[in-house]
Amino acid sequence: MMFGKSKAAEPLPLGLGATLEAIAERHRKREAIRFENRIYTYQELDEEASRVAGGLASIGVKKGDRVAIMLPNIPEFVFSLYGVQKLGAVAVPFNTMYKGREISFILRDSGAKAIVCLSNFAPLIQEIQSECPALERVVVTGQRSFVFVDPAGTVNAQMVFERSRFPDPSAAFHAIGGALVETFKALGVDDAWYSHIGAVRASGKKLATIILSEIENLYVANVVTWLSPMDTAPLFKVMYVPPEIKERALEPMTSVKQESGKDVGLREFKDALVAQLSATLQVRFEPGKLTRDELIAYEKNRALAGRI
Amino acid sequence: MAGNETWRLIYNPDGDTADIVSYGASIAEGRIAGKYQLSTTLVPDTLVIQKSRELGIVAGADVVVEKELAASQKIAVARLPRQGRNGARPVGTVQLAELTSKASSKFKAAEVDPDEPAVLIYTSGTTGNPKGAMVTHRNLNFQCTTIVKSLIDFSPDDRVIGVLPLYHIYGLANALIVSLHYGACLVLMPQYSPQSLLETIEKHQATMMPAIPSMYQLLLGLSRIKSRQTKIPKSLKHCISGGAPLPLAVLKDFAEAFSTTIMEGYGLTESTSSVCANGVGGRFKDGSIGRPAEGVEMKVVGEDGAELPDGQEGEIAIRSTTIFRGYWNNPAATAQVLDADGWFHSGDLGYRDADGYYFITDRKKDIIISHGYNISPREVEEVLAEHPKVSEAAVVNLVSPKGEETVTAFVVPKFSGPDNTPAAGEEPPSHRELQEYCELHLAPYKRPRSYVVLSALPKSATGKVLRKELRGDAEDKRLIDRSAR
Repeated sequence: MMFGKSKAAEPLPLGLGATLEAIAERHRKREAIRFENRIYTYQELDEEASRVAGGLASIGVKKGDRVAIMLPNIPEFVFSLYGVQKLGAVAVPFNTMYKGREISFILRDSGAKAIVCLSNFAPLIQEIQSECPALERVVVTGQRSFVFVDPAGTVNAQMVFERSRFPDPSAAFHAIGGALVETFKALGVDDAWYSHIGAVRASGKKLATIILSEIENLYVANVVTWLSPMDTAPLFKVMYVPPEIKERALEPMTSVKQESGKDVGLREFKDALVAQLSATLQVRFEPGKLTRDELIAYEKNRALAGRI
Repeated sequence: MAGNETWRLIYNPDGDTADIVSYGASIAEGRIAGKYQLSTTLVPDTLVIQKSRELGIVAGADVVVEKELAASQKIAVARLPRQGRNGARPVGTVQLAELTSKASSKFKAAEVDPDEPAVLIYTSGTTGNPKGAMVTHRNLNFQCTTIVKSLIDFSPDDRVIGVLPLYHIYGLANALIVSLHYGACLVLMPQYSPQSLLETIEKHQATMMPAIPSMYQLLLGLSRIKSRQTKIPKSLKHCISGGAPLPLAVLKDFAEAFSTTIMEGYGLTESTSSVCANGVGGRFKDGSIGRPAEGVEMKVVGEDGAELPDGQEGEIAIRSTTIFRGYWNNPAATAQVLDADGWFHSGDLGYRDADGYYFITDRKKDIIISHGYNISPREVEEVLAEHPKVSEAAVVNLVSPKGEETVTAFVVPKFSGPDNTPAAGEEPPSHRELQEYCELHLAPYKRPRSYVVLSALPKSATGKVLRKELRGDAEDKRLIDRSAR
């Protein structure tokens, strides 16, 4: 043994999680990750991995459990991978370009208890979650969702209602999806179809998306549909999104016009949707406006939406 | 539910992009007790239907939008509020940030058995479904401490380009894990273009780059365009190419243009990435995968498993601490590749020359390898066979004399007439229909690039599809016609 041999020469532990801890101990302030204009030191990386480990433990992930990771090359991939290692769990990273059946197989075969994915992929995972009985939690990260707004074709419908109206989220999805399918049929799209959660499809392509969010005692449903086809190319030219998200956004889409051959106007769509929702929810609709409280919130939200 | 209940309908046919963000959120906020208590009456449940008069993007907080460019194109941008602990969140999900904000920054790593899997990496084989390769802590540790160390000098001063996808064993082991093992800095790139890669190398003065052949080819191409303003970075000390063969000429030109050294690695998911490298110490053999790295034994075996002499073609077998533990929940598949003496049978056919350099000549099994990704023809065939207009399909990789690969699907249509004949007006599936179907169900790298409709597939007496015949048929159309009748 050489006298005064530095600590750095000691062999590292074999476990990946312990390896990170040992490296972070040696290189606290050194850079571990650079991403865009952000730098994470080894100490920060170890702390982030610790937080993921603790966070996953808090939702019941234990040593030996499998945790799927469906993330592009972003810092959260590294935090998640090493967080899983610190827990002594098994990471199952897979290709972010995978589609429903590919993901479903991997989740079932590995028996993953949780998945960490971009929030954009939550609807995709939820669409197949019923096929994956071991999958208990969908952990989302990143704020990379986007919606295109086209004056020619897109319609946005939002619903804000009491959560107590439905026994569980899937009942809410079912009601809204069912009303949309009937709306599309009434407009001439004969094979509009909805399974559960996610998208309404026609001839296998996406015709509308439903995102259901919860906040306190409320559900907020956001529906986007296309009355006529839209050209997304100009919009992608002014924004940057990782390729897997673009791929997902470009999943074959269709529109009421392509499926029914008819030009359906906004008013016609509104009347059809209102009629179907009235029947499904057994309620009457009365035209109204924002209240004073809501107008205050509306002005604030518009101001926030305007910052880039 | 009472039939006389009334919902409010807000109709906004001439709104703008900011309205799309603001209406639903404002109504929700207005409803949440205690926020603004100006109104006393309870607001009913509400439906908002809106359309925008402008082209726009509603963008999440992390979506990067080029503000000036958007403005010049008359594209409006509205930001979604950052989802935090208090905002609305999609049902059935939990935010990672919410979980981590409550957790301690000091979590002592659990004791693990180093021979337990750290990761499962799913890889396609000859069967339709991928298999989860169990890569253990010890595998990954050995890859860093012994294999990579025998090839490259890593130091904490290195900056490593993280352009390879981290979910693939190559990027995971040879970019991320090795970089952290040596206390180096990993520069993460979530999106690849040759230009952005060039700029990233220069901006961060990167010293190491693991990449795939096409990246080297395109970077070299860019560097040759003299008119381009971009500087050729000279910071790279070591580069590794893997996933597919890199032509020696490109390799040498790249090393010269970028003042760097470059090695070609060979490895598989089951070997935790690299086991072998060409170009160690600047010694190359054209077309070779090189010699085994430290801590790796390799041999060429015949059908009976016995080692073959130099120069004879057989299957390449590898034994090393870096060899994986087996396939998850699949002892049968594991037994097919791992023998009792610990040799991993790679499925790659090749030979060793008198100097101990290995050469790959073919694949033993029907696996297509395209840009470093394994594609199972069976998996793609099963997807195609589920198309309502398809009876059966065979997928092969057609390689032109120039070496260009085209994953091609041969498809037999399904007709409703007797003996699978078309009924009146019935058409075989179009190229476009098949393509769209694959887009829905398969990751881009697995999708066939070309489709050929046949009335039958060439089959052996036992009914096995003769892929070789399909491969050969690509150049000779007469054979397709003959087998089709």
